[in-house]
Amino acid sequence: MPLTITNLNKQYNSQKIALSNYSLTINKGVLGLLGPNGAGKSTLMKIIATISKPSGGNLLLDGVDIVQNPNTIRKVLGYLPQDFGVYPNLNAYEFLTYIAAMKGLGGKALRKRIELLLEGVNLTADAKRPIGTYSGGMKQRIGIAQALLNDPKVLIFDEPTVGLDPEERMRFRQLIADLAQDCIVILSSHIVSDIETIADEVAIMQDGKLITHGPQYEIIQQAEGKIFEVLLDYAALNDFKQQYKVIDTARQADQIKVRYIATQPHVAASSISVNATLEDAYLFLTQSNK
Amino acid sequence: MQYLYLIVKADYLQRTRSYYFLITLAVTVFMAYSFIPAQNASYTTLSASGYKGAYNSAWVGYVSGIMTTVLLSYLGFVLVNSGIKKDIETEVGLIIATTPISNFKYLLGKQLSNYLVLLTIVAITLVVSIGVFFYRGTGYPFILSNFLLPYLFFAVPALFVVAALAVVGEVFLGKRNILQFIAYFTLCGICMAMINNTNTQSEGIFDPFGLSLISKSITHYINTHFGENIKSVSFGFIFNGQKSYKLFEWQGLNWSTLFIISRLIWVGLGLLLVYISSLFFHRFDLKQSSSIKRRKESPLDVVTTKPVSASMGLNRATLPPLTFNYGIYSFVKTELLLLMRQGNKWLWLLNAGLWIAMCFTPLNIAYAYLLPILLFLQVGRWSELATKEKTNRVHYFAYASYKPLQRLLTAQILSGTILAIGLSFPIIVRCLLLGDSYAVINIINGAIFVVLLAVALGIMSGGKKMFEIFFFLLTYSVVNRMPFTDYLGSLPHPHMGFFMLVVLGLNMVLLALSLITRSYQARHL
Repeated sequence: MPLTITNLNKQYNSQKIALSNYSLTINKGVLGLLGPNGAGKSTLMKIIATISKPSGGNLLLDGVDIVQNPNTIRKVLGYLPQDFGVYPNLNAYEFLTYIAAMKGLGGKALRKRIELLLEGVNLTADAKRPIGTYSGGMKQRIGIAQALLNDPKVLIFDEPTVGLDPEERMRFRQLIADLAQDCIVILSSHIVSDIETIADEVAIMQDGKLITHGPQYEIIQQAEGKIFEVLLDYAALNDFKQQYKVIDTARQADQIKVRYIATQPHVAASSISVNATLEDAYLFLTQSNK
Repeated sequence: MQYLYLIVKADYLQRTRSYYFLITLAVTVFMAYSFIPAQNASYTTLSASGYKGAYNSAWVGYVSGIMTTVLLSYLGFVLVNSGIKKDIETEVGLIIATTPISNFKYLLGKQLSNYLVLLTIVAITLVVSIGVFFYRGTGYPFILSNFLLPYLFFAVPALFVVAALAVVGEVFLGKRNILQFIAYFTLCGICMAMINNTNTQSEGIFDPFGLSLISKSITHYINTHFGENIKSVSFGFIFNGQKSYKLFEWQGLNWSTLFIISRLIWVGLGLLLVYISSLFFHRFDLKQSSSIKRRKESPLDVVTTKPVSASMGLNRATLPPLTFNYGIYSFVKTELLLLMRQGNKWLWLLNAGLWIAMCFTPLNIAYAYLLPILLFLQVGRWSELATKEKTNRVHYFAYASYKPLQRLLTAQILSGTILAIGLSFPIIVRCLLLGDSYAVINIINGAIFVVLLAVALGIMSGGKKMFEIFFFLLTYSVVNRMPFTDYLGSLPHPHMGFFMLVVLGLNMVLLALSLITRSYQARHL
């Protein structure tokens, strides 16, 4: 069930172009979407989730045009938006039953399914409490549970780990890996390490365009030989920042270790080339496309 | 003082830069125009036992001034009573709570921005009233003070108190909109009753609207010049066909110092109310107060929250197989549940009381007054019907669901209609027993009209306010027996079949508007 995006455009007005000639084919597995704010990640996900119409281009799920036939994907879609809400007067069980109705689910097994999902996201003990009393992390887990209600074939997670504690994040990653065995998972996150751990493929976006797309190692390869580390005096740091794109700094005894992007290393003898990470590659690619 | 000004300015701009406010202004222009009806109009706004003032500066200025004051005193509360709620919803309140601003200054800022919004509307009605004076063109000289003074001494102080009461309502009754409305309108009712009872009171200092002063001056003028013994004037939109009136030239009021000082006392009362409210203001510490309340309700609930360490232990293989059901029964059930749970549960006692009263009071009273009031008491429920997805940010799920228009919106309309007809049930049964099938159809038509009006205005405006204000005006008009607003068909109509078709046609238009707009919204987030 491939999802094929061809020359997708989204223009809000003459000034604001959210997506420009975006083409990509997404297959089973996890696709990580990376990009700075305003790159068009959420717009792309909204269009795939059928809640926003593109200005042009095609979007096919298994050969069916989902812009013209949105209900085709809606039957197999699990969507966790970035800033979703809940009905505070309903409890978790009632809310999931409501969302299940939206997804067209019913039958006697639905109750059991909801109970197991609530158990899976560790909300069984709180299932009878109004969701209005939940913490941010608990609401996020309700969001994850609702996305899984209909055994989706296309899962869209927009910033899914916001509000989760480190252990929940780790378990969420495992869950995604499990789900990705037989469905398409599209995941956007500002936390590059989340993408690095989960994604089979990565798509980097900027200004509504797809900069690059491919398996992680191919993306990282593009930054190999461009990432360096150097030890500097504190006083020299500001001047250094004027010349190079600094990725990270780490304080040492009386100096500072600086990780930076460059085509040629800094003249300092301590400057050494280091292995690139996905975060380095992301910063290198978005920097060089400015 | 400088930063209070900046807070008020920002709050005022935030409120007025909206589609909703533009519509409010458009309605204001229309209302202001209607305050001074044409000579051949089928209604009047101020008359005294067959007498009506000639359209000189005094009459036009004072009538539009007093109409603005009284109507805006009622409606203004509904218009502006969401300043603090907005800060809670947007969570800006949490930021405000961490700043050094005192409760009093924050609430004063809210009260002043409420006041500025109301004054903007007042300014527009003033300009329109001057325009109407020239438009009606009866040849009397234009005297500016006859327009400015009634606005200055009636509207300006009265609305200061209204703006303060909106803050008081939000502080003490929080999100309980219906309770706020009931409390406020009860207060207004008491106030009006007191004004009527103290009609002979010389200076009108206890009258926040200034109505008694005008009433006294007009009756005195007519009694003196025409040898009548009129006790009071009729005020409001009075529909009585094209009745002919005897005209008289009223020259306005002589303002007494005591009355002017009394306006300052009303302003002082407004400030005092804001100050008292500041002593009880929650300062956005809502979670704590709700958890305290929860502990009282159910001590076990708090300790049931487990640590989250065992989360996401989900095994998909153990999940039961899916069964699809694209019907809307589940939706209707949950929508009804949401409707029932909306608002304060104690309000159901009042609903139950009115519902039972409708079984036993004379049918004409129950039909004409109790039913529209009972339907109005559900204003919070109706207004949330099709706006709650957006308010609670559940619209992402709703719009991405399978056939949201055909299933979800239909279920919302259906559940609202079930509730509306359920509330009207005693009257429907009584009319059925009397064999009055027209009345039964009219009530069902009217119940559907309320639901569709709420859905259409909610979808089109994106919020609850427009419907709330419109429905208030509608209910006010219905209980005041204005024929063209009689959506429940409780008044006699010469062509009942035609009347039913008109309401049915309106329902169809509202349904079409809702479907078209929601269809667009669902694909353009």
